[in-house]
This record gives sequence, C-alpha cells and structure tokens, in this order.
Amino acid sequence: MSVQHYQSIFGNASIEARQFNTLFVIFLAVCAVMYAAVIAFMLVALARRRRGGRANVMEDGRHHESDPALRTGLIGWSAVVATGLVALAIASFVADRSMASTAARERLSLTVTANQGWWDVQYIASDNSKMIRTANEIHLPVGVPVRIYLKSNDVIHSFWVPSLAGKQDLIPGRENDITIVPRKVGLYRGQCAEFCGTQHAKMALVVQVEPYSDFIKWWERQLQPAAAPATPLAKAGYDFVTSRNCGACHAIAGTPASGTVGPDLTHFASRRTIAAGSMPMGEGNLYGWIADPQSIKPGTKMPTIGLEPNELHSVVAYLETLK
Amino acid sequence: MNLCAAAAALTACHPSQPKQQFGSATVYGSAPAGDHAVAPPAASPADDGNWVMPSKDYAATRFSGLNQVTPANVSKLALSFTFSTATTHGYEAPPLVVNGTMYLITPFPNYLYALDLTKPGAPTKWVFKPKPLAASQGVACCDTVNRGAVYDAGKIFFNTLDGQTIAVDANSGQQVWRTQLGEIQKGETITMAPLVAGGKVLVGNSGGEMGVRGWIAALDEGSGKLAWRAYNTGPDKDVLISARFKPFYASDRGKDLGVKTWPPEAWKIGGGTVWGWLSYDPETKLIYYGVGNPGPWNPDQRPGDNKWTTGVFARDVNNGEAVWFYQTTPHDLFDHDDINEIILADIPWKGQRRPVLFRPARAGFFYVHDRRTGQVLSAAPYGYVNGYKGVDLKTGMIIPNHDKDPKVGRVVRDICPAAPGLKDWNPSAFSPVTGLVYIPHNNLCMDFGAMRANYISGTPYVGADVKMYAGPGGNRGAFTAWDPIHQRKVWEIPEDLPLWSPALVTAGGVVFYGTMDGWFKAVDARTGKQLWRFKAGSGIIGQPISYRGPDGRQYIAFVAGVGGWAGAVVSAKMDTRDPTGALGFANAVKDLPMKTTAGGMLYVFTLPR
Amino acid sequence: MSSRCRASFTLLALTALALGACNREERHSRAKPMGETVPAGVSPDTIWPGGTVAQTLDPRAKIYDNNAPAISQGQQLFSQMNCSGCHSHGGGGMGPALIDDEWRYGGRIDQIATSIAEGRPNGMPSWRSKLTQDQIWQLAAYVRSMSGQPSKDAVSSRAESMSNTAPQTLTPREPAHTSDTAEQ
Repeated sequence: MSVQHYQSIFGNASIEARQFNTLFVIFLAVCAVMYAAVIAFMLVALARRRRGGRANVMEDGRHHESDPALRTGLIGWSAVVATGLVALAIASFVADRSMASTAARERLSLTVTANQGWWDVQYIASDNSKMIRTANEIHLPVGVPVRIYLKSNDVIHSFWVPSLAGKQDLIPGRENDITIVPRKVGLYRGQCAEFCGTQHAKMALVVQVEPYSDFIKWWERQLQPAAAPATPLAKAGYDFVTSRNCGACHAIAGTPASGTVGPDLTHFASRRTIAAGSMPMGEGNLYGWIADPQSIKPGTKMPTIGLEPNELHSVVAYLETLK
Repeated sequence: MNLCAAAAALTACHPSQPKQQFGSATVYGSAPAGDHAVAPPAASPADDGNWVMPSKDYAATRFSGLNQVTPANVSKLALSFTFSTATTHGYEAPPLVVNGTMYLITPFPNYLYALDLTKPGAPTKWVFKPKPLAASQGVACCDTVNRGAVYDAGKIFFNTLDGQTIAVDANSGQQVWRTQLGEIQKGETITMAPLVAGGKVLVGNSGGEMGVRGWIAALDEGSGKLAWRAYNTGPDKDVLISARFKPFYASDRGKDLGVKTWPPEAWKIGGGTVWGWLSYDPETKLIYYGVGNPGPWNPDQRPGDNKWTTGVFARDVNNGEAVWFYQTTPHDLFDHDDINEIILADIPWKGQRRPVLFRPARAGFFYVHDRRTGQVLSAAPYGYVNGYKGVDLKTGMIIPNHDKDPKVGRVVRDICPAAPGLKDWNPSAFSPVTGLVYIPHNNLCMDFGAMRANYISGTPYVGADVKMYAGPGGNRGAFTAWDPIHQRKVWEIPEDLPLWSPALVTAGGVVFYGTMDGWFKAVDARTGKQLWRFKAGSGIIGQPISYRGPDGRQYIAFVAGVGGWAGAVVSAKMDTRDPTGALGFANAVKDLPMKTTAGGMLYVFTLPR
Repeated sequence: MSSRCRASFTLLALTALALGACNREERHSRAKPMGETVPAGVSPDTIWPGGTVAQTLDPRAKIYDNNAPAISQGQQLFSQMNCSGCHSHGGGGMGPALIDDEWRYGGRIDQIATSIAEGRPNGMPSWRSKLTQDQIWQLAAYVRSMSGQPSKDAVSSRAESMSNTAPQTLTPREPAHTSDTAEQ
C-alpha cells in the first residue's frame, strides 16, 4: 500500500491553516494591487518623460506654487496606502486573535518531546492510567481543538506540519504549545524545521486526521500492551530483544522493556514510517534498519549491532507482531 | 577605621545565620504535667532487662525501664568492654541482648555474632556467616547497611542484603531455615529489621531508587515458608485489599487505585518499598508500617496520586488484609518515604483515652493518628518546612506548595525539608514517664533538578540531580523533645551534622543518642542538658540500647560505624568535589571525612561498682 | 618579513592547526558491529611471575581517547544508561568515585572499557552484550575525561547537569600519587 504524504503550506487542513491562508490571500491581494499601481505609475512616468513636455520647473531655482492636481493626487495616494495598511492590520489582528482563541477551547492535549532524530508523543488524559505513548506519528480527531505541548530533551527543534499549522520551536527547559483544529480528514507530513544535528533532515513525522470514532478506536488499541509472540520465530526474537536489552532504550508495554531514551515500540508495526519518516514501514525496510541503522541514518542514536542472520529474522518477526 | 574593625562591621552586616551553639539545648517549655501519653501495655510490657527487637517492644517506644543510670550519675559511666565487628560500612542495627547473650548483625556481609555476656570481656560464642552475593552491594542505594536482627522463641531472625531471610538457633548458631524473597537482578535488596509477630516473620524489600515494585511478606516463624505477600502498587488483589479495607479519607477509596493512579505499566516499576519500621498491636492483631517513595524521583514521569506509596498501612498480621491506609504525600515530589517509626500510644483526648499512633514523618509533620481508623488527629511541623503548607485535617490531604514543584529541565531551589526529610529512618524514642517523644533529626534543604529517568532493571531509576545543604539556622541536625499532645517543642539541641542515629530513653530520665562525628551523648530527658559524652572511633548511626547484665547492673551499648545515606561520603570513600554525590548528600556533609573515619566497634558502658 | 615569506608562514600555521584537530574531531558513526569483543585489559599493577610482560595499548584507544565526538556521546550514554545513578557525576555513591586518581581496576581506557564490559565484583554490572563495543569505548573515553585525563579541548566545557561546580569533564587532573604505572 503506498503512503501518500501531503505537506503543503496551502494545505488548509486545519482551521488555523485556513485562517492563515485567508490572511495570505488578503495580503497578496492588497500588495498586488499596490504593486500593480506602483508599476503603473512608474510606466506612466517613463512614458511621459519620453514624450518630452514641460521644462523641469525646479531648474531655475525659483519657488513655485505646488500643482493642485499633484497635491490631490498625493493625498489620495496616501489615503489609499493608509487604507491598505489598515486593512492589512485589521486582517492580521483578526486572524491572530482567531487563531489564539482556539487555545481556550481545547478538548484534547498531547505532549510532543523532541529528541535528536525522533519525536516522542504522549497523549494526556484526565485518568492517568489511560495515557498513551507513541513516537513519530500523531493521530487527531477531525474538528476537535487540540493543544500540543512542545518540549525538547536535548537541543532546539521546530515542529512544523505545514498543512496544519506554522512552525513552533521546541526549546530545552521551556514548554511551548500550539493549538490546532483539524478540519480535513487525511494524512499529513511534518518535519523538524530547526537544525538539530546530523540527522535533522530525517526527522519527520506523520499526522493522521481521522473521524472521532476512528480516533477513539486507535486510542484504545494503543492502550493495549504488546501481545505475547505466538510463532517460535517471534518468540526467539522476543528472547533476543529481552536478553540483549533493547529495553535499555525502548519501551514495549507488557514486557520488561521500559526504556525512555528511544521511541516506544509497543505498536511499532502499525506505524507508517520507520525512524521518523526515514523509510516507509515495510518488511524489507525493517530488515535494513535493524541490520544497520547507521548506514541509513548516520549519526542516529541507535547503534549498529552485529546480528547473525537468524537473529535478524527473529527480531524482525517479533517486531512485526507489535501492531 | 582599621581593617579589623571594618571586617567586623562587614561580618555583622552579612545576613548569615545566627551564631549557633551546637550541642547545647534551648528549652521552650516543660514536659506535660498530669495526664500525658503512655504506651499501651499489651504492646509494651514491663522491661525484663533484655532487648529482643530493635524497637524494644511492639509499640516501638525504644524506652528502657531500667533506672540505675540517672542524670545524677550518668557522668560516671565507664567503658566496660568493646568488640570490633570487622566491618567498615554503616552500622545501623542495635545489639540484641537475650538472657546473657548479646547478638550483633553487621552490614554486608551480614555476619551474626553471639557474645557471651556472662564471661569477662564478652567472648564470642559463635559467628554465623550467611555469605550473601557480593553483587548485591551494587544495587544497595544507601550503603550496605542492616537495620537489625530480632529474637523470638529461641531463634534469631535477620535479613541479608541479597534478599534472604534467615532464622538461626539462638544457642547453637545453626541455621534453622533460609528463604529467598528478593531478587538482586531486579534491583531489590533487603536492609530492614524484620518484625516477629503473631507467629509470622514480617519482611519488606528495598529498592525504591532502582525501579523495584515494593512489597511486604510474612513468613511462617517455624518453617520459613511464605504465608502471604502484599504489594504496595498494582491491582487490589496484589495489594490484598478486600471488603475489610476501610480507609478513613475519601481520596483513598476506590477500586484498583494502585493501577488507576499511575500511567499505564508505571506501577510495575513504581517503588513503594518497605525498608523501615513495623509496629504491632497485639490487641487488634494489626501491623502498622510505612511505605517508601514512588519511583522515579522525577514526578513528571508518573502523574497521578501513585497509590499506595508514601503512606501508612494497617494490615491483619495473619493474612495481610489491608484494614486502613493513609497517604502522607500523594504524588510524592521529594522522595519523602513514609517508612519512619510508628509509635503506639494511648493519649488523653477530649476527656477520653484514645489509642493513637505517633509518626514523626519525613515530610516534616508529627502525625498523630487514631490507630483504629487512620484518622489524623493532628499534624504539626516539628522543624522548618516550606515544601508543604500544612495538612488539612478535614480531608487529610497534605497541602502542597506549588512554588516548590520539581520541573524537568529546571532546578528548583531551597526546598525544605530535603529528600532525607526532616527525619529519615533513624527512630525516635518515647518515654511514658515524661510523655515526650525524643526525635533525632535533620535540618536540611535542597536544590532539585528533575530530568527524564531511563528504566533498566538492575540500575538506578531516579531522574534527579540533588544538592543538599543546611537549613535555616546553619545547623544540619537537631535533637528535639516533642510534646505530642500539645504539639510543641519542649527543648531542642541543634547539632552541626545531621543526626542519623536513633534515640534511647530510660526510666532513669536519661536520653542517649550519637552524632555523625562520633560523640555519644547523654542528656537530661526533661531539660535536654548535656550530662556526659564520649568520643567513639567512628560516627554513630546505630541504635543505642540499655540492658541488665548477668550481674544485675544496667549497661548502655551501641556500635559506632559511620555510613548509611548520610555517611556514604566516608564509608564509600566518595570524592566530595561532586556535590550531587550520594543523591545530593555529598554537598551537605563535605566536611565529614575530616571529622570521622569508617569503623564498626561495639562500646558497652556501665556505672562503676 | 617579505610578503611571500608571510604568506607561506601563514599557510603553514593554518595547515598545522587543521591537522592538529583532525583526530580530535573525527566522528566515527559507522563503527564496525560487535564482532570483536572488548579486550581483557590488564593492570600493570600486578605480579608477572618470571618477568614483566610488554604492554601494548589496544589500537582502538587512539580512536576514542581524546576524541571529542566520542567523549560527548559517552557523556550522553553515561546518564542514559544510569551510570550517574551509581557514580553520580563522578563523586561516587553506590559505586566508587570516578573523578579522582584512584582506580581499583585500572584507569587506562582499555581497562575502563573492560570494567564496563565485564562488570566487577562488589556490584559493577556487566554490559557486555547490552551495549555495543563502540558505545562501551565511548563511555570509557568519557569516564577518563571525568578525571581530567584527556586534553581540555577534546572535552565538553558545558555540564549537562546542575552546574554548581565546574563541569566534571573539566576536573583538573590530579598529579599521580599512585604507583600504578597506567596512571603515570
């Protein structure tokens, strides 16, 4: 199944994005009109000069009365400019206030913590035992205001899903937030927009906007711990993962693995990409990633472990059960 | 103006702490006259001259009924004999004395010595060497201590660092049974002194800093087989919560709160260990014990109330069923384990006698609970506290001070009391003669920087950088005589170093305690006036006891061996240039290596004939 | 000085500067997977019956010792793998202090790497198949930097923890009071 990513600042997939684009259009219109007028005047000025015309009255040094027509024109032009600026200011203010008012209506919140090379996503629930944790993928219900708290564990990153909202930095030691109301069901791609290390270019995330009922189903699925492996190969993979301490960095709910340094893998196989958008999820890509992450994403924090072929088969088989 | 005067003027202007007279008591009032608190007789029988359990009796009074030593003659105390335990780690246990034999349990490697008190010089009768796993030293957070052995019905019971409970015949030194309860691969150790009550040996684990799941277990006294085990986090069936469970406050009522008040799966590595003291009421057959801190220290990783950590349980000793629970600090922020001693007392309350519990808690409040229901009757601070604003007696909840909330990526400064609390594990003593509780405690504040903790079993799971230092006044410790009924200090002795030694009070009216630099002190129980002191070879963090020797004389005994969390700077030979060492204690006691050295020596004193 | 002389002198100085930084800043992200094992580092503080044995340092020591990316990655691993839980920021606690000049099992980088891989009696866990050998050497490089052994320009000047003191990577090297020749 091919994965469609949609990443465009004209995406209009959320109310904020649409408001922003409306503002953009207003600005474009006003500025285009001004630009056209300025160009028109310039052309007129060039044309009139070529036709010759009256001598330059300034050359003889005498003071002259200003031309009434010119004065009216100047006042008129200033009025036009002023009107244009006021229009832009009002539009900007209205759009900004409207985008900010969403924050007061939030009904869902999650925390995105950026690390070098991946996004840690934790959904907040009033009942703490219903909180879920995932990585590099966000699901949002359409039409519901959501506030995303933004934190960083190491350096400055920037959260940018162009179809949904503008950029917002994630700064270590500080909590920022951004509020969105998604309005179009679909799949959208985001990426890190602040240079954060050797793998800044491969730090993408996927946002899935879906109907509310689908979102609740997804949430409930995420609450389930990982199923115990059924086939012998997957069981061997589980033993390998446990004894070689993949859990030192990764967490898999329902197993002893509870690491917080790397992405949560409980429902890893149900995600659309591997390694924060570096590759689409698929068996071949999974083999490549587990065998040698450093060749795909050099400098990433996941080390290259020397795996025997049968170990690699078993680990991939186990990871594929983590749906 | 010459330089000297200028310097003097400058120091006078400097807004530093007032000049402290460490070691001398300030008297604030007098001991309560007339009707005062007494110990319940069933839990605190008359003194027979022995010391069979670390708390002296089930009521945890640590009160000796012997009265030969009095304020008038205590300055004549002379050394009777000594014994080297051949260990140099923190010595937190009391010597046990049973009918002419003294028993000593050492820190790792947990040797059990029996000394014959009937012969001059107390020669060794036998030594029992349990040979615990050496790797267990790598998962013991706060020095490789042991808080004591217990004697009952001809056997000595004790725990080893690598999680075993052992019963040894008190006469022959032969092992009777040995049960493995804890697993060091998970980060569990056992350092607590067991309690033997109702035919059961009660044992709890340690490892709240290692991402362990806390529990308390009961072994059959005769066979060592596991009778029941209650966890302190997780579903009700693991916590042994049944229909009999009736917590007094609404916030403790609900189903499976040990799961619901945690993020998913976090309760499995959530701490809640039982490494401190247990008390027992023989009339109601209930055991009372406190639960340790939730893990990790970084509170942002475990939003929710984190039941059933940092609270007090009352359980039936026969089957472990929970009867009531009180949570001192829901969603604990500062590692304020609630494992301190629980003293049983009967007090006059509004014209009646009410059965209560006294608890000088780590959070800084002296709790008085009705021991039948868990209701908090009073909770007054017994030192300086700014991490909390008080305790609301209507809801039972502690009132947090949100200015002091730890935040990931930030350092919150000047939190008092610091992580070891206003008082840590070292127990206070209660005198039914004066009605006062004698509390040896700390006066420390801390800076706390929270960060994300990573869980790897067998390694620490903390998520905090801490630096501790002296609290207001400049003294790092204090010895307070507290009136539990009127909730006020009667007298207090500021001490330079934190007080990590337990207290002993005698019927003769003398209070004994030790300091971390080795001074063993005797003070007047009514006024706090220092009567006598002795400089031991190492800092004192072990329980002093008093017993009647075979010759009928009263003896005072303790083992000096600095260590524990506070003394790790010395016992673990740390480098004090790193202030965050020993979970922050290194900064508070940077000067300790100059003031004392490691050791493990028993000192026994008596009055000359 | 003539301008030609000055130009070539400047060129020489810049080249020297560039070359001097080569090894310190070289980043090895594609380390070979764990086929080889961390060697059993031997302490010179021992008796060689019959005569001393020549000590050669493992060739990998050059790659990691004094290498800034390795020390920096080791610093991250030190807190992520909970080394700081037992050793604090070098002051010790459950484990011995690492910022001083006393080494129970040797303070050379290969000896430290062996201690991490093998574990040690009395409580040091064994990380042999839990961390790659690349990660173990990075940790060893960082541990050495805590006692001030690598050169100052290879270590991070910024503490990642509460900075009430100078960062532990800038701890001055104590003059060797020990007889252990690995420390001298």
